[in-house]
Amino acid sequence: MSEQAAVEQLVQSPLTLVMTAKSPEAFAALRKTVEDLQALPTDKNPVVAALNRLGTVHFARFAFLGNDQLAVITTYDGDFDAYINDFINEIGEVFNALLRHVDESLVPVQSHRAEFLKFVRANDLRCVGQFYSAYPQRTVLDIVDMANGAG
Amino acid sequence: MGGNPAVAVDLGDVQGLILRGYTMPVARCIGLAVQEAAGARAFLTAVTDDSAVPSVASAQPWTVKPESCVNLGITFAGLGALGVSAESRASFPTEYAEGAVARAALVGDVGDSGPERWLGWLADPDLHLVLVVFAQSAAALESATGRLQRAWSAGWRELGRCDGERLPGDVAHFGYRDGLSQPTVDGVPPSGLPDRLPRAPVGEFLLGYPSQFSGHSYAVPTPCALGANGSFAALRVLEQDVDGFAEFLTRQAARTGMSEELVAAKLCGRWRNGTPLVLSPDTDAPEPPIPAEALNDFDYVGEFGDDRGYRCPVGSHVRRMYPRSSRVAGNAGHRHRIVRRGIPYGPPYDPAHPRDGHPRGLLGLFIGASLADQFEFLMAQWLNDGTFAPGLGRARDPMAGANEPGVGRFSIPCPGGPIVLDGLPRFVTTRGGAYCFLPSITGLRYLADLRPDPNPPGP
Repeated sequence: MSEQAAVEQLVQSPLTLVMTAKSPEAFAALRKTVEDLQALPTDKNPVVAALNRLGTVHFARFAFLGNDQLAVITTYDGDFDAYINDFINEIGEVFNALLRHVDESLVPVQSHRAEFLKFVRANDLRCVGQFYSAYPQRTVLDIVDMANGAG
Repeated sequence: MGGNPAVAVDLGDVQGLILRGYTMPVARCIGLAVQEAAGARAFLTAVTDDSAVPSVASAQPWTVKPESCVNLGITFAGLGALGVSAESRASFPTEYAEGAVARAALVGDVGDSGPERWLGWLADPDLHLVLVVFAQSAAALESATGRLQRAWSAGWRELGRCDGERLPGDVAHFGYRDGLSQPTVDGVPPSGLPDRLPRAPVGEFLLGYPSQFSGHSYAVPTPCALGANGSFAALRVLEQDVDGFAEFLTRQAARTGMSEELVAAKLCGRWRNGTPLVLSPDTDAPEPPIPAEALNDFDYVGEFGDDRGYRCPVGSHVRRMYPRSSRVAGNAGHRHRIVRRGIPYGPPYDPAHPRDGHPRGLLGLFIGASLADQFEFLMAQWLNDGTFAPGLGRARDPMAGANEPGVGRFSIPCPGGPIVLDGLPRFVTTRGGAYCFLPSITGLRYLADLRPDPNPPGP
């Protein structure tokens, strides 16, 4: 397969969403929110539960950048725009908890869907040049299904 | 879904075809262009308030079933031609404003299905109004059309029309019973088969109510008198290659050793008589028989245990178009429902006289509160792609997908490994489409009562 064909058939996309806290106090609160969430056991973590339901996110992690920013870094399948309403349905509450320290006008995202999508587009750093995937045509659903014993 | 308390809907204010099927044997779809705006608006007064002209049918339950029903949809260009203000037009969703021609590639209308190949009147930028007339008989259809035509002729110019007629046995041209799966909408009288599935909130099909997404209602176009209780429809004229479909079944049956009827059932997800594969994987005549009212009362997972699609293939037509509780991307299986109103056109197919040259197909309206989240989502994500479900890759819907010659393939999951049907051509070609707004009765009266804007919008 040519490189171009491989790129065209990528079913995955990178998301590098950088959120800037609205104040130093807000950053402290944002940091605590994230640390508290991530300290929960896996079976009690709402991020894990939401991502399991969504079935489109390969990997997800939070990282703090400097003293004022949170990065949400994921690799996901499909068309983010087309699934925005399903995405918000499943993980909107998590974003509400984060965004109240970033931009309260977006909260709750359930009733600010277009604004939230615009925010994600505007604050997604994506990646420089080509996005590498070891399995460019496999979705989360494919991989989980194979792990569960499909042929 | 089902989480919102049922809301009261004024059924007399809602165009009937949104919330119920009329089950009438003939129908006609007529495209009109505004010729003179005041006269065009006067026609809207006539179809809402003049007893001499067939009235737009509402969703109010009948005491006596009428001889005919009329409904109408307005294109975005039509709003401007009727004198709707630029501010109001700007409040309508982008996909509707862009229209079916501009959005064609997104839904797979390319190549032979592209707008440059459509019936002329459906690709005409002056298509402003789509009238749909359903009738109990050919005579009633002619009578209603004649009375409507006398009323519209002062303000509208006809661009074209397309007639449909129910086929013997209530099947579509590929031979399947049609229309078995329709959403059950919360808070309105049930109109389809009963099922155990989540009820769709009324805001999934009407503007102004909580939608299927939590904490969300679709924006009501302004003013409220025009937008509330309205909905959207994608009109589609879909030509079916019945010869090609029959030949494909014969060829694949010979190659796989399956019966033609089983190949047909695997492609669709139901046997041709409507029996769901998930309930009866080996025969279309199970014992004991499945009652007619139970033909939509099933799921694919849970107690039905068909997660892998060994009975009903994950990529089959009906499972794609409504995956129910199957594992799909976005956990979205119950959140992209659509109301389908369709009727075949063209004569019944006679396998003894193949390739008779008659066009055959389906005249369909695909209705929902959001063209983007319903019609376009179904077409782009579930019909013309496979990545929403495990194991489908980029495979497209085997019956209605935009399959490319030499590339299309369909996988039938089996415990010992899949049976792959390759050489899958495109069986359905789009002959035209239009994105329409279906105003409420109040909305139609608002349009009828518009007075010329001192600064009329451009063309």
